[in-house]
Amino acid sequence: MAEGNKETPEIIGFACSFCSFKASEMAGSLRMKYPEGVKLIEVPCSSRVDPAFIIKALMEGADGVFVAGCHPGDCHFIKGNYYTRRKIAALKEMFRAFSIDEKLRLFWVSASEARRFVDKVTDMYNNIKETKR
Amino acid sequence: MKGKKLKNSHLDSLFDGFLKEEGSIILGFKRDGNAIGHHIFKGSAKDYSLINPFFSANGAIYFRRLFSKGAKLLFILRPCEIRAYVELTKLTQIEREGIVAISVDCPGTESEKEKTDRASLPEDIRDYFKGDNKKRWACINCREKRGVVGDAGIRLDRDYNMWIIPYTEKGERLIETLEGELTDIPIDMAISPDRQTDSFKTDMDALRSDLKRCVLCMNCRDMCPVCYCVDCVFNGDEYLPRGDALLNKVLRTGSTDMPQGKELFHLIRMYHVSQTCVGCGACEEACPQDIPLTKYFKGISERLQGIFSYMSGRGFDEAIPYTTFIEDELKDAED
Ligand code: SF4
Ligand code: SF4
Ligand code: SF4
Repeated sequence: MAEGNKETPEIIGFACSFCSFKASEMAGSLRMKYPEGVKLIEVPCSSRVDPAFIIKALMEGADGVFVAGCHPGDCHFIKGNYYTRRKIAALKEMFRAFSIDEKLRLFWVSASEARRFVDKVTDMYNNIKETKR
Repeated sequence: MKGKKLKNSHLDSLFDGFLKEEGSIILGFKRDGNAIGHHIFKGSAKDYSLINPFFSANGAIYFRRLFSKGAKLLFILRPCEIRAYVELTKLTQIEREGIVAISVDCPGTESEKEKTDRASLPEDIRDYFKGDNKKRWACINCREKRGVVGDAGIRLDRDYNMWIIPYTEKGERLIETLEGELTDIPIDMAISPDRQTDSFKTDMDALRSDLKRCVLCMNCRDMCPVCYCVDCVFNGDEYLPRGDALLNKVLRTGSTDMPQGKELFHLIRMYHVSQTCVGCGACEEACPQDIPLTKYFKGISERLQGIFSYMSGRGFDEAIPYTTFIEDELKDAED
């Protein structure tokens, strides 16, 4: 794993274009701030995120990764996020076995929940910043 | 549960009878003096062996990508091999229609790599069950040594009588051709269900240290029966760059130990096979560097299968957890 000597954490977020990514844009237009170290990648559905992407991000130096999708039941493609939930729950279990589970989070954020988006990612950022010390 | 008590002669006639039909073959083990290994029988099942105490590869891999309907195949293999076959049918990598899969009680195996003195191969398999031998880690910690998977099982009771037990309609049809009546099988068998092992726990330092000598040859992937993607993510330059792609990456990022990406490769593979891994240890067997892979792959897969109460290869009808869901579940997955 690349050594993260950076003082500020780098967090990669995979955000569904129909909800969480919209929420991040709305946060921007409402001038709500979230930490600069959070880099978003827009995906067509949270279920598009192969856990390989997450492992790659972490092994190549990211300090944390989150996946953000629509609340269960609200998927634009009807059931994508139910698969996301299974895949990420399993990946978290694997990370627990390797004692790196603090590096991965799963958020449900709808397009209108700009505040919720900002709170969730800020909390994760601060948490990881704390453990980086 | 009901089955038929067997004599060796019964099996001879069952197998030879099966092979009489045009186009039918058996995948099992053949014993040739002191050598023993996987064998495809056509015409006659002469010198077949139900048990092979030496592990080299998981036999399910040989018929991966079998798509022809109606081919008549009989598999007589170890439980971990039949379980891998069952997973491959779910992954649509093997057309199940013409195949009858029989799992045989497995006393555990030694590594082929250990170069065991073949002269010590016992004449009678009973001695092997009792024998003092150097079994592989995968076998000592095996989750299912019993011939209870597939279409039928061949099992031994406490007195070393052999039983054949049908589990599916296909198994029933095959066993119908044998003489004798179905009777209740004894409760006490030579191999009993295994106790549950503790859930696997480790850390990245341990993984890094275990992978120190890995040369990223990917033999472990290539010999894994359930790692089947034709377009494996590790074949291109995205995950494990070489040549120009590596040059560009290093210029962009900085110094790096080589080979680069060992943890990346193994963790991704571990996740990808997490629901289908059968813990057979074929990966470790294929590794030229003696990396203790099985403890990670088996450990992680059992933990991850546990979340969904799934067990790879246990049944043909159980869906692989990542391909299905229940609406009302995993409430605490969200952060
Ligand atoms: S077979 Fe061994 S050396 Fe080759 S990639 Fe796998 S673990 Fe590494
Ligand atoms: S490592 Fe993953 S992508 Fe590659 S063959 Fe195995 S399961 Fe498929
Ligand atoms: S990962 Fe290893 S133990 Fe698991 S199925 Fe593949 S070869 Fe067998």
